[in-house]
Amino acid sequence: MSSNIIEMKGIVKEFSHVKALKGVDFSVKKGEVHALLGENGAGKSTLIKILTGVYPKDGGEIFFDGEPVEINSREDATRLGISVVFQEFSLIPTLSVTQNIMLGKEIHKLGVLNKKAMHKEIDDLIKRFDFPLKPDDIIETLSVAQKQMVEILKALSTDARLIVMDEPTASLSAKESEMLYKIIEQLRERGVAIIYISHRLEEVFALSDRITVLRDGQLEGVVEHEDIVPDKVVKMMIGKELSDATASRPLAVSDAETVLEVKDLCSLGRFEHVSFDVKAGEVLVFTGLVGAGRTEVLRAIFGADKFDSGEILFHGKKLPKGTGKVIAEGFGLVPEDRRTQGFIPLLSVERNAACTNYDTLSSGGFVKVDKEKELGEKAVEIVDLRPRNSQVIVGNLSGGNQQKAVLAKWLTRDLKVVLIDEPTVGIDIGAKDEIYNFVEELAAKGVAVILVSSDVAEVLRVAHRIIVMKEGYIIHEFNNGVVTQEDVLLACSGIIPGEKEA
Amino acid sequence: MRQETLRRIISFGLLLVLLLVFGLTTDKFFTANNIYNMLRECSLVGILAIGVTLVIITGGNDLSCGALMGLSCMVISSLLYYTELPVGWCMVIALAVSILGGLLNGFCVAILRIPDFIATLSTKFIFIGLMYVVSIRDAYGSPTTQSIKNSTIKWLGSKIGSGPLDGMYYCTIAFIILAIVVQFILKNTRTGTNLYAIGANRNSAEISGISFVKTKMSAFLISAICAFVASLFFLGKSRAAEPGGGVGYEFKAISATVIGGCAFSGGRGDIIGTVIGVLFMRVLENGILKFGFPTQTQQLLTGIVIVAMLIFDAYYNEFMVERTRRRSARLREKEAVK
Amino acid sequence: MNKLKENKFVKKLLQEKRLLVLLALILFFSLLLPGKFFTANNFRNILYSISLQGIMICGATFAVLLAGIDRTVSGTAALAGAACCTTIVNFGFSWQGILLGVLLGLLMGALSGLFHGIVLSRFEIPAFLLTLATSEILYGLVQNITGNQLINVMNAKAFNWVGSSRILGIPVPVYILAVCFAFTYIVLNKTVYGRYIYCVGGNKQAAKLSGINVKKVTIIAYTISGIMGALSGLVLSSMNQQASASQAKGYENDVLAAIVVGGVSLRGGEGTIQGAMVGALLIGVLTNGLQLLGIDPVYHDLIKGIIIIFSVAVDMYANYKKSGLKRDGFFKRHKKVKTHA
Repeated sequence: MSSNIIEMKGIVKEFSHVKALKGVDFSVKKGEVHALLGENGAGKSTLIKILTGVYPKDGGEIFFDGEPVEINSREDATRLGISVVFQEFSLIPTLSVTQNIMLGKEIHKLGVLNKKAMHKEIDDLIKRFDFPLKPDDIIETLSVAQKQMVEILKALSTDARLIVMDEPTASLSAKESEMLYKIIEQLRERGVAIIYISHRLEEVFALSDRITVLRDGQLEGVVEHEDIVPDKVVKMMIGKELSDATASRPLAVSDAETVLEVKDLCSLGRFEHVSFDVKAGEVLVFTGLVGAGRTEVLRAIFGADKFDSGEILFHGKKLPKGTGKVIAEGFGLVPEDRRTQGFIPLLSVERNAACTNYDTLSSGGFVKVDKEKELGEKAVEIVDLRPRNSQVIVGNLSGGNQQKAVLAKWLTRDLKVVLIDEPTVGIDIGAKDEIYNFVEELAAKGVAVILVSSDVAEVLRVAHRIIVMKEGYIIHEFNNGVVTQEDVLLACSGIIPGEKEA
Repeated sequence: MRQETLRRIISFGLLLVLLLVFGLTTDKFFTANNIYNMLRECSLVGILAIGVTLVIITGGNDLSCGALMGLSCMVISSLLYYTELPVGWCMVIALAVSILGGLLNGFCVAILRIPDFIATLSTKFIFIGLMYVVSIRDAYGSPTTQSIKNSTIKWLGSKIGSGPLDGMYYCTIAFIILAIVVQFILKNTRTGTNLYAIGANRNSAEISGISFVKTKMSAFLISAICAFVASLFFLGKSRAAEPGGGVGYEFKAISATVIGGCAFSGGRGDIIGTVIGVLFMRVLENGILKFGFPTQTQQLLTGIVIVAMLIFDAYYNEFMVERTRRRSARLREKEAVK
Repeated sequence: MNKLKENKFVKKLLQEKRLLVLLALILFFSLLLPGKFFTANNFRNILYSISLQGIMICGATFAVLLAGIDRTVSGTAALAGAACCTTIVNFGFSWQGILLGVLLGLLMGALSGLFHGIVLSRFEIPAFLLTLATSEILYGLVQNITGNQLINVMNAKAFNWVGSSRILGIPVPVYILAVCFAFTYIVLNKTVYGRYIYCVGGNKQAAKLSGINVKKVTIIAYTISGIMGALSGLVLSSMNQQASASQAKGYENDVLAAIVVGGVSLRGGEGTIQGAMVGALLIGVLTNGLQLLGIDPVYHDLIKGIIIIFSVAVDMYANYKKSGLKRDGFFKRHKKVKTHA
């Protein structure tokens, strides 16, 4: 018998020769709430996926309750008693609570279900935790919080001894989150261990017994309960040896001409009362947690989604609605998920770059093929695409080059405002730097840049001004003085530096 | 109220309105004879539609069921015509052929991963081709329609001669039994739950250990068995095996599921809806004739009703999704204010 | 300059692996049927026999490239034929009647296509299902127009000339097919609209966010498809010198088969009109060869079904192999299922 329910030793994982985990040790004691912290790309989710059998590990050992184990699939993990409550729900929307919890392990005789027994079992389970659920509720009629409860029940119904919660409060309201905290307390009392992953630092500090901090695929340290001090943990996340370029950044309001002004923009359920302006040659960064409404603001400005009220002024005049017209005004959007929204995988770089440019590449509806080709060459030149070939199919390129191809379709245009959404997710470091250089070049040319990013280092690398959003509202703006990674990280969780002391 | 409940009320309401309109305007409509005849036609389409419903619940579609029914008919009648086999054995062989057909569908969809529509369209051609291959030939060797004189077949096409259900056809009884059985399978067995799970959220279902291949296969198998059952009564009704017979019935079956509210994205719908749909389509077709419209308008009107229903469903879904989003947003806002 | 372009065209054709299959098939039948298959007369027959479906393919390819499908090409053909022939009869076989009839027929096709385009661009309805249902409406309309009777236009000589004459030894419908093919080829390869079709078919979201009016592109595509279907129906009526209520029924399946065999991906955004035409030729040559070999026509449906399954399965497999583009391939899934078991 060991006091650790799970112990992972020297876990190594490589993705196409890039080490995502460089020998991480991680252990969770029985019945504790253990938070796993780290910035995006620190290796948290990779570690969890290895623990739950989604990815195979390339090295290291796992011990469950002191016994060495091999976890090769989700089923293996479930059998051991490891369950996951994922961000995206793995429930069947058209089935009932009972059917979902019992899916794949129904009580039956020759295939005929014993509905009564199942109903009773689930009813008992719900009563034990006193959840506001009924066994016959259909999943799609439930609120997000209720769905999460079903997920938790599903985990418990397999006698889980370790539950992984990946960003469980990301889409919950404050009241619903409170309810979840209570449930976590209950689980702890029952001796179920919990691995808790969240970007909301305040709740992590309040809930966890211990915290493990990862950074760049390595263990940064384990913080015991009595040592949990916000500033200290945040410092660990950011890293001790702060590189000068991204540790802090002086900000200032530019006195250039205001290009875009957004006034009191509202879209029910997406964002509320968003007002800000951008000046020529400025890089305005929107940061915050996933789901804070940043992407939605960009899409609304770009005319991709409708909004309920408010107005968008471009050089003092109302911006026309509809993506096509907005583009004609000199706007560009580099969307969040490049594979589904950014590029057309089956087409060449040339065609992808040209698809926003046919207003200048055609006459009378016919494509000027020579000019199109020229544009393709130019695009490859501008973004320094490798291989230097405009005929290569975008779907076959690496992530960084795909993003460059998306950039190419805007950089070949005469832009006034460019909206960039999480440009460096899943891109290697070299390509990241190149993309930052493009952003800086654009700003230097007088283009107004609005950039959405959750990566604190990235925010401080490029920002002239920083706006922080939370749950659909703008909660803070950093526009003067020197800002550190710590400030930004805490602000994203709703802890505003100036207000804390006051 | 749940989206599906509302949808059920709508389709049931449409059926009632139709019955009222035809019942009040023509006195030829609500006669025992007309009702039993309508039910007979319903039952043939309905038995096929039950199978199609299962496939649609898994997120697919089955365009081959009509042709498979025709093939099964042709196998039985060819065997009766050319061999001395007892009729029971002929049916067993036809059942085997149908099951093979269902397996072929399942193979194309679940293992070759061809989209359902294309796969079953292709197998439809294969079944039609086979139907001609096994068809009864005339003296010159070309396929011909031959009437079948067999007491069992005749009995299958007949009606109950006495009792409270005097005048009802046997196929209607078969339809009712089959509908109850399959509804039971859907709601009360593991297979049923698996069908819904695979149709609504395939990835999660697979994580829970449900096999996509097996589930799709079983849906197509049940559909094929339904086609076989339908073929018995189809043969009983026509008492002749006609090359190319049964083709086009799949469209009637699919129409019924559309009216009944089966979602083509999968995971939704049940047999009750399909039964309402089948009744609705038949009442509409029959009523049009009884109303005195020319036969030509039948196809036109049924087509319009189905397209209207497709558009309505798409709009209704959009509306409900948007409504749910706005509602939950408002709820949260209230909470935040508190 | 011209020569260069021609060379490019030939090169493109040669890249199509299906063309090699076609040549092999021709060689096979030529050896098997000496003196019967490889004759000018027979090739004329093959071309003549695929001309109707060929015209429909030129339209339907637009829909398939948009990841849709248009099964109403045959319905619009029947409707156009019926409308045209009725008009011709009503105008007493005069040239005004013929002109009006032809225009009316094409208009019917355009309207039908417009309807599909509007509905499919506005609502989330599977194109297959919608066009399956609207086919019903179209044939219902045809029944009402014709009253289930044959409409004879034997006396409209100018109208029938198209279907029954030859220029330089080649039947006129083949020329019409050639014009349609050239039209589609130019639209898809030389115009901005063609570029947009591939963009929208390849990734609708990305196309939208690049400022492409996806609705407009969809509506135009289905309208073209409708007009081509109607044109083909007019040619059919001219060939038969009559219109019937079940005219062109089942052609939509041949069209779909040819498009699929021709390597146009049902997931949209991939494939060429040349490929689709080669697909049509393949099926045409195969059918013709089997006929000449004396194989019972009852096997044709069977063979068609198997060909479609084979082509789509190969397409799915090729798609899986092209890494970076995979969208839940079977092989990956299947492995997963195995480890589960």
